[in-house]
Amino acid sequence: MSCSPFDLRDYFFGELAETERRQMDLHLRNCSGCHEDLDRLRITHSTMLALRDEEVPQRIGFVSDKVFEPSPVRRWWLSFWGSSGRLGFASAAMLSVALAGFTFYRPAGAAPPIAAAQVDTARIEAQVAERVGAAVEKAVADSESRQARKTAEMVAATERRFQEQRKADMDSVADELTYLKKQHGVMVLATNEYGGGR
Amino acid sequence: MIFRAVEDADLIRKARLGDVEAYNLLISRWEKRVYNYLLRIVRNREEALDLSQDVFLKAYQNLRKLEDPARFAPWLYRIAHNEAFSAFRKRRPEGDVLASEPAVEQIPVGGTGAFPIELSIAVTTALGRLTDDQREVVVLKIYQGFKFEEMAEILSCPVSTVKSRLYTALDVLKTQLAPVKSRGVT
Repeated sequence: MSCSPFDLRDYFFGELAETERRQMDLHLRNCSGCHEDLDRLRITHSTMLALRDEEVPQRIGFVSDKVFEPSPVRRWWLSFWGSSGRLGFASAAMLSVALAGFTFYRPAGAAPPIAAAQVDTARIEAQVAERVGAAVEKAVADSESRQARKTAEMVAATERRFQEQRKADMDSVADELTYLKKQHGVMVLATNEYGGGR
Repeated sequence: MIFRAVEDADLIRKARLGDVEAYNLLISRWEKRVYNYLLRIVRNREEALDLSQDVFLKAYQNLRKLEDPARFAPWLYRIAHNEAFSAFRKRRPEGDVLASEPAVEQIPVGGTGAFPIELSIAVTTALGRLTDDQREVVVLKIYQGFKFEEMAEILSCPVSTVKSRLYTALDVLKTQLAPVKSRGVT
């Protein structure tokens, strides 16, 4: 067994990989020594197989005991949870049924609730419209009052500015008049002095 | 290739759910092999039968621990191996190696049918000259047809150890059986 590329016993017992087995096939065609070793292994092996299996003298078996057996429900439950494929299928089926029921199923007894729902909807819509109208009116009133207040404030301010301007103009006219009166007085005085000297 | 309508894995799944009949069917497929494996290791029919029953009972009790049903055979033989060597330890307390000898049947197991009884006796005797470990690897390989990887799993040891035991045992067997073959008893 020394010159074979792999262990001849591994080859004999079929434990070599395919490529290794082919190499051994080629080697054994050309190596009489390894071939003889292989024959001796075969002889020993076939001799060993002279010892045949015996029949079991007494059949081995267990008796079903209902006390220790799980109930059919428990057995089904274990079986259900033990199979991921079955569990997945059941989940998908339940989902499909729920979707189909939701889409197509319209029970006859469901009409009153729908009518009630419609009434409720109308009432709610009326309340909403009322509240919206009130809110709009209030907003408009607020806006109008704000606008009126602003207008009044603007008029008052304009009036105040007008009065101030008028007062300033009057003061200016008064000053001008005083100045003119003084000028006139000076001229009268000068005229009297000039006329009286001749 | 043997076609089976119901695979072992299906029976295991049913047995796990408490289906005793499925387990009995599984036993009927494996009892002969397990019994002969144990018989060639312990070399006592009564003990081999008792151990076989224990093996299948323990397998049933621990069936849920079997992770891959496809690995049922190595797993079952692992239980059988443990039971056999547990029996060895009971039979043979430490330091009392010879205590096991009286319990061993020296009659050949099998051997009837197409093969001469003399050859069966010679093989049984040659197997008896092996150590327990060597005999077990020979039985697993030659009579049970396991691969080295599976044998390593059953015996909880490296493949190299399995091969070493087997090839040493084969050398012993070759020497023991050569005179029988040379006398032309085939």
